[in-house]
Amino acid sequence: MKININESLQAYINEALYRARPRRNGTVGAPNAVLADILAKAEAVGDAMRYLDQRGRIAWKATPRLREYIADLKADAEADAEKEAM
Amino acid sequence: MLRYLSDRIAFTDKALKINLEPLEDAWEEFQSSRDRNGVYRYLSSVFELVSWWQYYDIAEMYARRAMCLKAGRPVDHVPEPFAAIIVCTADPKKVDYRMRSKWARALTYAAEFKRRTVSLREFMKRRGGITNAPLDLPVASGGGLQKIADAESCKFRTEGRSAGQF
Repeated sequence: MKININESLQAYINEALYRARPRRNGTVGAPNAVLADILAKAEAVGDAMRYLDQRGRIAWKATPRLREYIADLKADAEADAEKEAM
Repeated sequence: MLRYLSDRIAFTDKALKINLEPLEDAWEEFQSSRDRNGVYRYLSSVFELVSWWQYYDIAEMYARRAMCLKAGRPVDHVPEPFAAIIVCTADPKKVDYRMRSKWARALTYAAEFKRRTVSLREFMKRRGGITNAPLDLPVASGGGLQKIADAESCKFRTEGRSAGQF
């Protein structure tokens, strides 16, 4: 089973997979099931959305809301880094 | 047949409601801006959502669900999916039946003939914009939309063949 994830969402998914790692120790949940669970939850809270990519396949990307949120975090982090450098 | 993992993930009513929110935001943005191309941003969002529904062949079902969610009760008549999503996300005072129908037909036409690598805006602009006559003419007239559709499909069919096939 394949799943296409846009790079805008990849970091979010990696983070969620990392957090889910302790749950997967042992027998609970195959990686694909964990990923499906993460995507379903992300879709339900408005962080991820499905779309048809250029090859006509279903893919996932970050919603405009999540992209904005990440951009704000990045700007804040850059501002903090500049302050610290001064 | 389940080809992708995504096929196993259910699209819930909560997800549907949340998927409609960016469309409502796009509509608000279009209304508050004076940009002539603002409508394409809104229609692109509608197009993107309905396109993947059509991929799964669930567009009619989710268009109905969206209408019911919006109305808060079961709905008798549901227009075709593009029109239904426009009804759900645009201000009915600003978009009358004619305009909605025009936009929905333009999107249906794009769903049929637009290449995925081309943006909706670019596609529409090349055809003179949404309000251009050819997209607005009824198919029964034998002109406009049908003629363009025939020409495009002929073109694609020709492009798809190699020289040796003729």
